[in-house]
Amino acid sequence: MFARGARALALSFAALALAAPAMAQWKPTKPVDLIVHTGPGGGSDLLARAMVTMIEKEKLVPVRINVLNKPGGNGAVAAAALSEKKGDPHTIGLITSVWIAGPLTSAEAKITVHDLKPIAQLMLEPAVFAVKADSPYKTLKDFIEAAKAKPGQLKQSGGSVTSRDNIVRLSMQHATGAKWAFVSFPGGGERLAALLGGHVDIMVIEPQEAGEQVRAGKLRVLAQLTDARLPGWPDVPTLKEAGYDVQTTPQIRAVVAPPEQPAEASAYWEKTFDALRKSESWKKYVADNQLEEHFTNGAELKKTMVDIEKQLKDAYTQAGIKTVR
Amino acid sequence: MDILSGMLNGFQVALTAQNLMMCVVGVVLGTVIGVLPGLGPPATIAMLLPLTMKLDPTGAMIMLAGIYYGAKYGGSTTSILLNVPGESSSVVTCIDGYQMARKGRAGAALGMAAISSFIAGTFGVVALMLVAPPLAKMSLAFSAPEYFALMVLGLAMVVLLSGESLVKALLAMLVGLWIASMGTDLFSATSRFTFDRVELLGGIDFIIVAIGVFAVGEVLGSLEPSKPADMLPVPKGFRNLLPTWEDMKKCRFAFVNGSLVGFLIGILPGAGSTIASFMSYGIEKAVSKHPEEFGHGAIEGVAAPEGANNAETGGALVPLLTLGIPGSGTTAILLAALVLWGFKPGPLFIQDSPQLFWGLVASMYIGNVLLLILNLPLVAVFAQLLKLPAYMMYPLILGVSIVGVYTSSNSMFQLGLLCGFGLLGYLMRKLDYPTAPLVLGLVLGDSMERALRQSLMMSAGDISILFRPIPSVLLGIAALLLAVPLFKRFNSVRVQVVDREA
Repeated sequence: MFARGARALALSFAALALAAPAMAQWKPTKPVDLIVHTGPGGGSDLLARAMVTMIEKEKLVPVRINVLNKPGGNGAVAAAALSEKKGDPHTIGLITSVWIAGPLTSAEAKITVHDLKPIAQLMLEPAVFAVKADSPYKTLKDFIEAAKAKPGQLKQSGGSVTSRDNIVRLSMQHATGAKWAFVSFPGGGERLAALLGGHVDIMVIEPQEAGEQVRAGKLRVLAQLTDARLPGWPDVPTLKEAGYDVQTTPQIRAVVAPPEQPAEASAYWEKTFDALRKSESWKKYVADNQLEEHFTNGAELKKTMVDIEKQLKDAYTQAGIKTVR
Repeated sequence: MDILSGMLNGFQVALTAQNLMMCVVGVVLGTVIGVLPGLGPPATIAMLLPLTMKLDPTGAMIMLAGIYYGAKYGGSTTSILLNVPGESSSVVTCIDGYQMARKGRAGAALGMAAISSFIAGTFGVVALMLVAPPLAKMSLAFSAPEYFALMVLGLAMVVLLSGESLVKALLAMLVGLWIASMGTDLFSATSRFTFDRVELLGGIDFIIVAIGVFAVGEVLGSLEPSKPADMLPVPKGFRNLLPTWEDMKKCRFAFVNGSLVGFLIGILPGAGSTIASFMSYGIEKAVSKHPEEFGHGAIEGVAAPEGANNAETGGALVPLLTLGIPGSGTTAILLAALVLWGFKPGPLFIQDSPQLFWGLVASMYIGNVLLLILNLPLVAVFAQLLKLPAYMMYPLILGVSIVGVYTSSNSMFQLGLLCGFGLLGYLMRKLDYPTAPLVLGLVLGDSMERALRQSLMMSAGDISILFRPIPSVLLGIAALLLAVPLFKRFNSVRVQVVDREA
C-alpha cells in the first residue's frame, strides 16, 4: 500500500519534471465515444460525423471514434451522459450554445457546462438578417423604422424563444425601441418557407442557406450578425456597421470532456483538435459551409461559456423569460 | 432543358453500371432498415454519409434516396406481421394489416403493401418530374393557419377510427394529445409534464408509444387466454399468398387516394409521411362502401396508407430540390449531403445540376421497379414467419420492439416508457378503448398546437386568420366529419322514438 503510494508520488514528480512532453504521452488505447445532443442527422450529429471523417483522413487519432447520439432536452440528456463518464479519457462531447441555454430555463437539466471540462472551441456559426427579395425593406434601418411605425405588426420567423434568433431580436428591440413579433418554428425549413411565402417579414438565417436564395433572387440580406464581414458577403454590413451596436450572443461549437478527465488526456484532445483545425479538409469544410473558424483552447473556452451564459441570462430576464439558475 | 430530353439524359446517367449498382444497394439497404423498427432512414443516411464522400456524388445521391424510399416499402412488413411499426409512417398500417395477418391473409397484405407502394411511389416520381416547380410555389401559400386546419381535419378522423363508442375514442385521443404536450415548450421554454426527469424534456417519442401500445399491448393481451393461441394459417403456394384480382379491384380507389394524398401532403414542409398515411386511411374509410370492415382486416386499409407514405417521398423532394427547403428529418440530411458534396441546393439547383436532378428522378423509376421485384418474393419468405408457434412469436415481437426502441434512443429510460405504454395498451384493450385514436392524437397534437399558436402570433391574437380560404374549407370538412355520428345518433334516436310510437 505504502509502496504503491510512494511510487505514485514518484511518478507524479516525474510527470511534473517532464511537464509538457510527458503530457503529450497519453494516447487513446480503445475506441472513443463522441457524444452529441441531436439524433442522427441533426446539426451537431452531421458535424460530428464530418469531424470524425476528417480526423480519420488526417490520421490524427490512432483509434476509432464513434458518434454516440444522446438526443433530448436541448443537450440536457447528452450533458448527463457525459457527466456519468466522470474521469473517462475515452469520452468527449460536441457542444453548442444550446447546452448553455438549456439549463438556464429547464430545472430538470441539472448538469451545466460548468460541470464539464472544456477542451477547445472550434468555430462560430455566423448568421445574417434576410428579407424577401421583393420586400420594401432595403436596409436594416428600413425594417426597424417600419417596425417602429407599426409596433408588433411585423414578424420574424425563428427557432425556440431561447435561441440566438430571438436574443438578437430582443437586443435590437431594446436598443431601438421598435417592436416586432417572433414566431417560433421547430425546423429551419419551415422558418424559410414562412419567409418565402410572405407569412413573416424577416428571419435570421445561416449564410450558406441564404446564399443560394439570394443568387436565385428570392431573398435579400440586410446585415450580418458577425464582428467582421464574412468572406462570402463583402458588401453586406455587419450589425454595427448598419448602425446597431448591439450584443449578439455568439453561437459556438466546441468540444468538452467528462468532469475530472485526467489532464494528460484533455491535453491530448486539445492538441488533436488544434491539429484538426489546421488541416486542409477542415478549412474546406468551414469554407463550404460558410462558417467562421474560431479556435480557442480549453481555458479560453471556459471564459467564453461563462460570458455567453451571463449574456443569455440577462437577455432572458429582460424579455421576461423565466430562468431557473 | 425540357422534360423529354431531361429524362433521356437522366436515364443515361442512372443506367450506367455504377449508378445502377448504387441504386440496388440503396433500395436493398432501405428495405432492410425499413423492416427493422427503430433504425430509420435519417439514422442510416447520417451514418453512411461520411462513407459517401469518396463516391461520385450522383451515385451517392441515388443510393441515399434509394434508402429513403426503400425504407417505406420495408416499413409495412413488421406492422403487418408483428403489429410492430417498422417506421413511423407505417403505424397506421398496423390497424388493418395485422388483422389481415390474424386472418391468414398476411401474404395478401404484404403483397398489397408492395404493389400499392410501387404504384404510388411511381406516381410520386412522375409528379415530381412534371409539376415540381409550380407546386412548390403553391406549397409556400401554406402556412400556420392552413397547417392548423389540416391537423384539425386529421383529428376529426378520430370519428372514423373509433370502434363502437365515440366517447371512448375521444378519451383515448385526449390522452394522445396530452402526451404530445409533454416536454419543453418551444414558445416559452417552460417544461410541461416532465416530472423532473431530464429524459422527458424533449417529450416522448411517438414511435415508442406506438410500439408500446400496439405491439407490447398485443403480446400482453394474448398471454391471457387459457386456451393456446391458434397457429395462423398460411396458404400454400406463392400464387395463393399474393393479393387476388378481387383485392386489386377493391383497392382501385386506395391507389389513387394514397398517391394524391401522399404527394400533396409530401410537398408541404410542415406535415410529413405519418400524417399523410393517417389522412389517406381516414379518407379511404370515409368513402368506403363497407367502413365496418376497417379495423378488422380491410385490404384498402393497407393499400391507402402504404401508397401515401411512398408518394410522400416524391412530394418531399419537391421543396428540397426546387426551393432548397427541407421538409423532414431525412430531406434535411439529404440537403446537408448535397452541400458536403459541393452542390448548392436552392432554387437554382435543377438549373445548375441537371445531371444530378434528372439522374436522380430516373433512378427513382428504376428503384421503384427494383423494389417491387425485390419485395414480392420476400412476401413468401416473411409470410412463413407466421407459422411460428405463439411461444416463439410473442418473444420475437417483444425482442424486436425492445431492440427497436433501444437503437433509436440509446436509453434505458425509453425502454421503461415502452413497458409503461405496453401496459397502457393492454389496459385499453381490456377496457375496450381503441388505441389508434391515442396514436393519432399524439401524431397531430404537437403540430396542431404549434400551428395554432404560430397563427395567433402572426395575427397578433386575431382569430380571423384561421378563416382564410384554405383553412375555412379544411375546417368545414372537419366539422362535417364530426357531425356525421351526431346525425347517425339523432337518426337512431328518432327511429327508436318512431318505433315506440308505433
